[in-house]
Amino acid sequence: MKEREKITSFIKTANVLFVVVFLCLSAITIFAQTETPPKPIVPPKPKNSKAGKVALNKGDTPAEKSIAVDSNVNISLCVSEGNLKINGWERNEIRAFVSSGSETGFKVLQKNKQSGKAVWVMVLGFDPAKNKETNLDECLSGEKIELDVPRGATVNVKGQASETTIESVGKVSVEIVGGDIFLSGIERGIDAKTYEGDVTVGKSGGAMTLLSTTGNIVAFNVAPSGIGDIFKAKTSSGAITLQSVEHRQMEINSNSGSMKFVGEFLSGGQYTFGTQNGSILLAIPQNSSCKINASYGRGAFNSALPLLNVVKNAASKTQSLSALMGSGDAALNLTTYSGSIRIKKSEGEK
Amino acid sequence: MTEKCFDIGTIQAFLDGELSSDKMESVSRHVALCDDCAIALAAAEEESAFAFSALEQEFNTLVPTKRLWTKINNSIEKEKKTFWKPIFAFFSNPSVAAFASLLIVIGFFAAMLGLKTDVPTDLAVETVPSQKSVVSPIISKPNTALVETPVENNNPKFLLATNSGNDKPRNRAVKVDFIKSEGKSTRKIKPSMPIENGEQRATNENVLGEESYVKTIATLTETVNDGKDEVLKPAARFAFERDLAVTDDAIKKMSAEVKRNPKNVAAKQILRASYQNKIDLLNSVAEKTELMASLK
Repeated sequence: MKEREKITSFIKTANVLFVVVFLCLSAITIFAQTETPPKPIVPPKPKNSKAGKVALNKGDTPAEKSIAVDSNVNISLCVSEGNLKINGWERNEIRAFVSSGSETGFKVLQKNKQSGKAVWVMVLGFDPAKNKETNLDECLSGEKIELDVPRGATVNVKGQASETTIESVGKVSVEIVGGDIFLSGIERGIDAKTYEGDVTVGKSGGAMTLLSTTGNIVAFNVAPSGIGDIFKAKTSSGAITLQSVEHRQMEINSNSGSMKFVGEFLSGGQYTFGTQNGSILLAIPQNSSCKINASYGRGAFNSALPLLNVVKNAASKTQSLSALMGSGDAALNLTTYSGSIRIKKSEGEK
Repeated sequence: MTEKCFDIGTIQAFLDGELSSDKMESVSRHVALCDDCAIALAAAEEESAFAFSALEQEFNTLVPTKRLWTKINNSIEKEKKTFWKPIFAFFSNPSVAAFASLLIVIGFFAAMLGLKTDVPTDLAVETVPSQKSVVSPIISKPNTALVETPVENNNPKFLLATNSGNDKPRNRAVKVDFIKSEGKSTRKIKPSMPIENGEQRATNENVLGEESYVKTIATLTETVNDGKDEVLKPAARFAFERDLAVTDDAIKKMSAEVKRNPKNVAAKQILRASYQNKIDLLNSVAEKTELMASLK
């Protein structure tokens, strides 16, 4: 009797399961019949370029224009293509020269009320006095673009892909998408940024910010023009080389590139060097005076110069070191995750 | 020169190689003899060369081709094909659907007949699994090693459990998923979250301002991910991804180290520097995008 009941119970359970399974199957069948095909993704339409029409120089000779300006004029220009060279000269005028490319002209944005000379000028890829066409490209383009500007001028450059050389002017601000930047004889400060290229600065003064994404940064014989001028250099995957940089406040950073400093740490200065996995090499005089604070992960710390009051802390994945060199007049902060830190005597010293 | 001069349209077509071979030959023969046409050809050639050089950037811009889009769509479709896809496809066949419907009807009647059978109700109850057999899913991994899970407020939580497979019952800690209560609802926080997912990551209170670093990184990542393919060339993209990976690795390891040992000043300093590096790295791409847009 009990066996019969068990069998009946089993049949009932099986039937319930049967119903459930077939209800599921029917649901799937209904869904399968009503399924809609996936909508294909429509590719985005290419963006309409806002760039204006290039005003081509149709003459046989290169485009050349000049304008009288104030000695401390502020000059803005943009370069869409071509090598740019800006040179400071003794005259109070701007001369623009473009070969095999666009026209050139000037737009005076502001004049000195007393002298009537232009104090803010925009160098254009067309002559606004002659060409009244709208929607013209303001950027200069050509094989060779040259500008002669007063020595005290402030130059602001934006550009696509060009090699930029600026010499002997007052102040410079350059930001280009790709291409190398060479700056020399800049008196009152530099702000240089290239996303694909090297930045080289020599014999210049003032506060400096040098940035590159994939390129190297080199600076030599540079000094502040006033108290509090900071020197900043940062690259993502390039190397940074600094020689005779006399700024008292320095912030040097690189992601995967190494850095080399050859020079002196000045009294009261603050020097910060940081890399993610590049090495830090400091070549300094034996009589240097600084207080060292170093934090490093997998890297190592090595000093060829004698250190005093060395305190080392080693955790599982990090190490830190604080020490004095001389009387500790300057503050030196060194941070690296997996690079090494090395301090050595500058060359020429025994 | 006996032949008539060609118009500029024919000369342009000649330059573009769009003429028939006979016509091409006749144009080239004519141009060799006619100075005016030679000058017109040279001028057209110069204009084309200039136009091409001016538009070179436009031509070289990486625009996804139709083939690429087809590939992308195919890949998306492939990804969408889950376990149910073949089943759905099988049942979308009308004959199969009809057969399945027939089976459903038969099955339904069979079930009804079966349910009508006299079965004592107390036996039917026994088929339902008893409450005792329901095991809490929280302590379902008997062999999990003792692992400290990153939970909020740095308070690792452990549950005590007995090893059911062992005769000698002993207390041990097992890994649990932290369940954060937010009002009435609860959500699980995965312990191993990637650092770039800043919004979800539990920040370490031991590093001053870490939360703002994480938020900034999350915002920047979102911005950069939208346009990095257009802005970065392959070599630059490679360098960017490599640097990002290096920085992420440093952040991950140093973050873990700071959590483990909040007094580790070196780890804190490296962590802060790594955060700043990542922000600068992402910022460089965002700024490049902005510059390129301003120059267009």
